[in-house]
Amino acid sequence: MYDLVIIGGGPGGIAAGIYASRKKLNAAIVSETFGGQSVVSMDIRNWIGTESIAGVDLAKNLEAHLRAQPDLKVVDGEIVTAVAPMEGGFHITTRSGAMMETKTILVASGSRHRRLGIPGEDAFDGKGVVWCSTCDAPLFGGKTVVVVGAGNAGLEAVRDSLAYASKVHLFVRGDAVKGDAETFDMISKDPKVEIHYQVEAKEIIGDQFVTGLRYLDKKEGGMKELATDGVFVEIGSVPNVEFLGDLVKKDPYNAIVVDHATQRTSREGIWAAGDVTDLPYRQNNISAGDGVKALLNIYDSLTKRKQ
Amino acid sequence: MDHTVVIYSTPTCVYCKMAKEYFKKYGVTYTEHDVASDAAARKEMVEKSHQLGVPVIDIDGEIHVGFNRPEVARALGLK
Repeated sequence: MYDLVIIGGGPGGIAAGIYASRKKLNAAIVSETFGGQSVVSMDIRNWIGTESIAGVDLAKNLEAHLRAQPDLKVVDGEIVTAVAPMEGGFHITTRSGAMMETKTILVASGSRHRRLGIPGEDAFDGKGVVWCSTCDAPLFGGKTVVVVGAGNAGLEAVRDSLAYASKVHLFVRGDAVKGDAETFDMISKDPKVEIHYQVEAKEIIGDQFVTGLRYLDKKEGGMKELATDGVFVEIGSVPNVEFLGDLVKKDPYNAIVVDHATQRTSREGIWAAGDVTDLPYRQNNISAGDGVKALLNIYDSLTKRKQ
Repeated sequence: MDHTVVIYSTPTCVYCKMAKEYFKKYGVTYTEHDVASDAAARKEMVEKSHQLGVPVIDIDGEIHVGFNRPEVARALGLK
C-alpha cells in the first residue's frame, strides 16, 4: 500500500511528487503526460526564476526534475478512472484496469477546455473548430477565423492567428475583455482584428468544414451570421473531477472545495491542488506552491498516524 | 520491424514536436510534411484524416489524429 498517490502530472502534481520523494514517502504519481496545460504556450514569461521559456521546454524541465527523484514511482500513459474508499485508505483504478492502494491521495488532475455546448461544435471538431490555437493557427493562412472568448487564452489565440489569417474576429460576451491589457493593446491596433462585444456564439455551420457562425447580438438584439473558416474556442476551463464521483465536496463550477491553508478536501485522506480546486487564480506558480503545501500537510498527517 | 511513418505538422505545433521527439527516442524513421507551407500535403492530410487539425500521423496506413502516445506505441509495436 502506498503512503500517497498523486493524480495528475502538471506543476501541482510534479511539485508534490518531488517533495514526496525528498520526504521519503512511499509515493506514486499517475498521469497520461507530464508538464501541464501550459505545454501549448509559445512563450511563458512569468515562471519565476526563468525570464522566458517555451511551454514545451517548461514541461520537459518539470518532467526531468520529477524523474530524477529516486523514491517515487512514476506511472505514465495512464489515467485514473475511479477512486473508492477502503479500510485505511483508498482503492484507485486506472484506464488499463490496474489497481493501486494508498493511504492518502492528492488530486492534481487540473482542468480541460470548456466547450461551447452549441450545435455544430462536435460535428466540426477538427474541421474548423480549434482547441489548440498555437497548433492549428498556421492552417488558416489567408482565411477568416473567429476567436470566442476574451480571457488571456482568447487574446493569445487572436495573436497566434494574426500571423496567418487575413481576418480575425474576437467574440466578447460582455462589455470588456478579461485578458491582459498588454496583449489586448497589441491585437486591438491590428487592422485585421474586429472586436465584437455583447455577442454569444449559438451555432457553428458548414458542410465538410466550417463555413460560418450564427450568434446572438445582445446589443442590437436578434440572431446574426458571420462567414468564417475557423472557430477557436477559448472560454475557460472545467475541472477534471469525474473519477472522484461524490467523494469530495465541489463548488457550483465543479471545482473541488479545499481549505486553502492545508489543501485538504471535505474527505479525510484526500487533498487537492491546482486548477482542479476552487482557487481564484489559475497559474503555474500557484499550482506548484499549492502542491507543495498539500504535500507538507499530507506528510504531517501521515507522521501523526504512525505515532 | 520497419514501419512507414508520415507526420503532417505545423512549425508551432507542440504535440507534433512531442511526436517527433518520441520517434527519435525510439529510432523510428519518419517523413514530415509542413502543412502550413505545403498546400498539396495539407490536401493529402485532409483526404486521409477528414479533418484539419495537426498532428496527423500515418503509421503503415493507419491514421492517427493528434499524438496519443499509447496508441502510437501500439501501432509501432513499442512498449
